[in-house]
Amino acid sequence: MFAYIVRRVLATIPVMAIVALFVFSLLYIAPGDPAAVIAGDQATPDDVERIRASLGLDRPYLVRFGAWVWDILRGDLGVSIFTNLPVSTMIQQRIEPTLSLMIVTLILAVSIAVPMGVVAAWRQGTWIDRAVMGFAVLGFSVPVFVVGYVLAYFFALEWDLLPVQGYTPFARGFWPWLENLILPSIALGSVYIALIARITRATMLEVLQQDYIRTARAKGLNQSGILFLHALKNAAVPIITVIGIGIALLIGGAVVTESVFAIPGLGRLTVDAILRRDYPVIQGVVLLFSFVYVLVNLAIDLAYTLFDPRIRY
Amino acid sequence: MMQATRRGVIGAAGAALVAPRLGSAQASARILRFVPQANLSNIDPVWSTAVVVRNHGLMIYDTLYGLGADFQPKPQMAAGHEIGDEGRRWTITLRPGLRFHDGTPVLARDCVASIARWAKRDVLGQRLDGLLDGMRAIDDTRFEIRMKKAWPGLAFALGKPSANICAIMPERVAQTDPFQQIQDFTGSGPFRFLRDEFRAGDRVHYAKFDGYVSRDEPTDFMAGGKPVHFDRVEWRVMPDPSTAAAALQNNEVDWWETPLADLLPVLRRNRDIVVDLVNGAGNLGVLRFNFLHPPFDNAAVRRAILPALDQRAFMDAAIGTDPEMSRVPAGAFTPGMPLANDAGLEVLSGPRNLAAAQRALRESGYAGQRVVMLSGTDIPVLQNLSVVAADLLTRIGFNVDLQAMDWGTHIQRRTNRGPVDQGGWSAFCTTWEGFDVSVPGSHQPIRGHGAAAWAGWPTIPRLEELREAWFEAPDLAAEKRIAEEMQRVVWQEVPFLPLGQVLPRMAYRRSITGVVKGGPALFWGVRRA
Repeated sequence: MFAYIVRRVLATIPVMAIVALFVFSLLYIAPGDPAAVIAGDQATPDDVERIRASLGLDRPYLVRFGAWVWDILRGDLGVSIFTNLPVSTMIQQRIEPTLSLMIVTLILAVSIAVPMGVVAAWRQGTWIDRAVMGFAVLGFSVPVFVVGYVLAYFFALEWDLLPVQGYTPFARGFWPWLENLILPSIALGSVYIALIARITRATMLEVLQQDYIRTARAKGLNQSGILFLHALKNAAVPIITVIGIGIALLIGGAVVTESVFAIPGLGRLTVDAILRRDYPVIQGVVLLFSFVYVLVNLAIDLAYTLFDPRIRY
Repeated sequence: MMQATRRGVIGAAGAALVAPRLGSAQASARILRFVPQANLSNIDPVWSTAVVVRNHGLMIYDTLYGLGADFQPKPQMAAGHEIGDEGRRWTITLRPGLRFHDGTPVLARDCVASIARWAKRDVLGQRLDGLLDGMRAIDDTRFEIRMKKAWPGLAFALGKPSANICAIMPERVAQTDPFQQIQDFTGSGPFRFLRDEFRAGDRVHYAKFDGYVSRDEPTDFMAGGKPVHFDRVEWRVMPDPSTAAAALQNNEVDWWETPLADLLPVLRRNRDIVVDLVNGAGNLGVLRFNFLHPPFDNAAVRRAILPALDQRAFMDAAIGTDPEMSRVPAGAFTPGMPLANDAGLEVLSGPRNLAAAQRALRESGYAGQRVVMLSGTDIPVLQNLSVVAADLLTRIGFNVDLQAMDWGTHIQRRTNRGPVDQGGWSAFCTTWEGFDVSVPGSHQPIRGHGAAAWAGWPTIPRLEELREAWFEAPDLAAEKRIAEEMQRVVWQEVPFLPLGQVLPRMAYRRSITGVVKGGPALFWGVRRA
């Protein structure tokens, strides 16, 4: 197992190298010029050139790529063209809100969606099943930002129960932290809940047809024991796979959710950087997301062994 | 008085589980929460021309002069000045008690270094740079600017509110290359920048500078006293307008600089919110042409648009049909400002005549060349102006290719001087801050100095002559005559077409009073009732 983990971690290196090359090349050929953005309309072409030179943007592709890779190997993600802050500092400032949002969303989604899927499978064909599946269709269909606006309207403006926007660091207390995350997490989690609930239902339906479930029933096990101890554990592998895939959805969804709820996370940092062509920030954040995604896949693979003893690495 | 709200009750219940929330009603009363128009992505008001950076600069830096509500320059950091050598030598004296945020006194040499750096970047500063014969500190409180020829507008330039402001910094900071960002944000303005709390894209915090010595005069826009009534001002960046509107309604912020026009009816219905015109200069919509390539290298083609141009249609699309949100007709200079005039304005204010425009285009020699119109989609006002312009040009008979792109790409595309089949462009719409286009000196669209001009690169020597004359105009009457002549030239040469004056509103909680009118959001004079 240890050797497997080491192999998988080492395998991330070529993956990250390809991502780095791809991201850098894409940004290199993409239109836009941060020097022109900085210089503004009153600048002369010479001014723009001077700014471009001061930012090192006038250097050839290979020189810039080589310098960037060399910096990364030394643990330096570079400096933002606009804020002049180290990219690592900017990521550090933004990582807590995004992580918080993702964790709360994940907990919320799994704790709601899995029981929903289980119950829907158990009560297949009843109004409960139809209600759950109806919710799933709704969750898939309604965009995150619409859910966000509706939630903010009712829970913040109409009923004054929760704040509309912002983020409070965890260090300032659990409730202040959580109250800013409830609405964004529900908004972001709606698609995720729908996805997990559907997969859980489908997988559970298949498992509930198995002989060992019939045996369990024949032994006189109660319904909840059958559903949650026997059936769910055997249905876990596809569900965990979907949860893993869903983390990519969360990363994408966080961009929109953070904008709607004014949460200063990595999603907004990425959008702002793209709009301004802040290349070092874009490169740094995309690399980080790629790395996280590779690690999540590894964690999912390892989690399989917890639920299915037949899987060994 | 703080109201007991359901959220407060829930929060109190939650507090049993958690650490207490920071702040109290009394503490928050001393904090002004403000939603700026954009993200403050960099913080050097000389390095950047962004309006939001200028606004940040006005918080932490002071200027030697400031414009009053009459848009005339008045001493701010300066106690006064003496002009000698037939206008070529200005001796400026600093008023006593000025200090930087680090406690050191503001000295004449700080001003000399700051002006020198600003003069490399700002359009009026560059004018000074070209005229400069020498600049030196005479002693700690006096410095001298010697010019090769007289420039009566020097005080205006040093106090102009539009980017780049002539921010006075400590000499050690002002010695930074003007093309590099500064790293030390020590100013002498009424607020201190709290760098440790700065999160680009999220929040910018300022604390009242207790050492600031305000002029003992009533507040007069950028001039006069700058009394501060809050301990802190917190900018909270909110990219989504609906969220900002909801936050304002929910009393999570006090002041929103640029509410979306679509959301104003909702805000107006809220009795706790004031929707107000604070910046009377607004923004001037502009349709810009590329003079380097057909078809707009032909003045007759450009002029052909005039009979059909309906500024009201542009303004309705840009900011809504409420006539108070915009002003038409708008000439070449910002309406409502001293140099705005009616010279030849009937070309835009008379009855619109599409048939006349079509006829003029046919007679102009236009050969059906593709007109590439750039449109920045992430700035709704510009996107809307572009769509209306494309429609107008199409109806007149142009072969229009409207190309949508994000603003970052737009800015780069318009630096391309090639023909349209090599990535070039023919026309685009934008807006200019009203202050910029209120006087010939900083009015980029009206310039005609060819390759060095703003994107479009018109060569119109007469406009350059008139601009030069404006710099030397002895009084406002002379300036007005020059502005009228420039406007007439604009209708003949059409370096750009004014599309109307956008008058965006600000929205703030009714508890906020004393908002200084005239320009951008200023944080002196304002208080919580």
